[in-house]
Amino acid sequence: MDFLISSFTDALRLIGSFSPDVVDAVRTSLSVSAGATVFAALFGIPVGLAVGLTDSRWKGFAVTALNTLMAVPTVVVGLLVYGFLSRQGPLGTLGLLFTPTAIVIGGTLLASPIVANYTLASVRGADPRILPTALTLGAGPFRAAATLVGEIRFGVFAAVIAGFGRVVAEVGVAMMLGGNIRGYTRTMTTAIALETSKGEFSFGMALGIVLMSVALIVNLFLSLLQRR
Amino acid sequence: MTELYRLRSVTKRYGANVAVDIDALTIDSGRLYTLTGANGAGKSTLLGILAFLTPPTTGEIFYAGERIDWKSGIVRKRRRKVTLLHQSPYLFGGTVFRNVAYGLKARGIAGEAERKAVDRALETVGLEGFRDRDARELSGGEAQRVAMARALALDPEVLLLDEPLANIDRETVLLLETVIASLPSRGTTVVMTTHAPDPPAGRNVGSIVLEGGKIAHADL
Repeated sequence: MDFLISSFTDALRLIGSFSPDVVDAVRTSLSVSAGATVFAALFGIPVGLAVGLTDSRWKGFAVTALNTLMAVPTVVVGLLVYGFLSRQGPLGTLGLLFTPTAIVIGGTLLASPIVANYTLASVRGADPRILPTALTLGAGPFRAAATLVGEIRFGVFAAVIAGFGRVVAEVGVAMMLGGNIRGYTRTMTTAIALETSKGEFSFGMALGIVLMSVALIVNLFLSLLQRR
Repeated sequence: MTELYRLRSVTKRYGANVAVDIDALTIDSGRLYTLTGANGAGKSTLLGILAFLTPPTTGEIFYAGERIDWKSGIVRKRRRKVTLLHQSPYLFGGTVFRNVAYGLKARGIAGEAERKAVDRALETVGLEGFRDRDARELSGGEAQRVAMARALALDPEVLLLDEPLANIDRETVLLLETVIASLPSRGTTVVMTTHAPDPPAGRNVGSIVLEGGKIAHADL
């Protein structure tokens, strides 16, 4: 028990002293997660809307595919993107492997199905009178869809936040595609894995506390939105 | 009177259920029509078709002499001539002004013209001074009046009203009855569903009675 207490005290000291390694990992985590979330929102929200609003016979298949993609393990996404970005891969010449951009690409693939699914759920739960009202008042399809998004904006925000939560907390993609390079691609999660394996438990705990704080803030925000 | 709508062999099916099955129907411009029938008779479905929101399963619809092609942009153009007011209207989040101005903005009308149209429409339904109120905090009768103002602001050729006088207070009923009765004289064609035992009467009021999706009686 003393070990845990002393590690916790050291961890708080590391956070309080703004240890450069802690700050770097936090900054990298937040920046790649934010980037991936933006791209996931740009892709996932229209997909969720399209699936929710169309009456195609492929709709059931699309919903199943989105649900399945939500459950894909992060290492599988990492493996897939690694195959494309590695030197022998089709995009190898771009030299993106082991860069923050590679983590953003993997994070986008991870978060997009979540954003799409949450958006789809919001569309399904939306008041069925919204679209006919917009259309009968003269809105075109895009304005009507934008109106719908505006009316279900809290659900869409929740979708984006859930996507961010998924990316910031994952380790597989960041490790495989980022390479865990100190001060460059080392994220909070990969740093925790590395430092703990080296016996630097206090350092890992410091990052764990920050990560938990981020997760807590994200979930508090999410709960707040869902209550509205 | 000129013919505005002509429906020919129009049906609307939902699976095996035939909601509307009309051999022929004409609706003239500048008149008020009541559309009556029991629950499930097809009134709301017919209004959806007339509003160009619900494409029929089969049949042809002509509007102002033009055959409606449901897959072309013509539908959207025609839809802008017609406004459907639901029995339980949906008000968008935000102010009353935002709601009443919604259709105007969709038509590219902004600024002074938009403000005047909104104020005029609110005045017509007796809601002067309501423009900055939160639309979600209105009473049922006030919400119905805002929805009516939102439709009137567009000065539509056709106003389709689905049970506009149901579940609202007496004062609002009297006000809306007056507003609705005045519309044909302004050139607006009105088709309203009603369960009221004494629908608006007059020399120029047509009536359509639906039973099981078919026209049981029409006094056009």
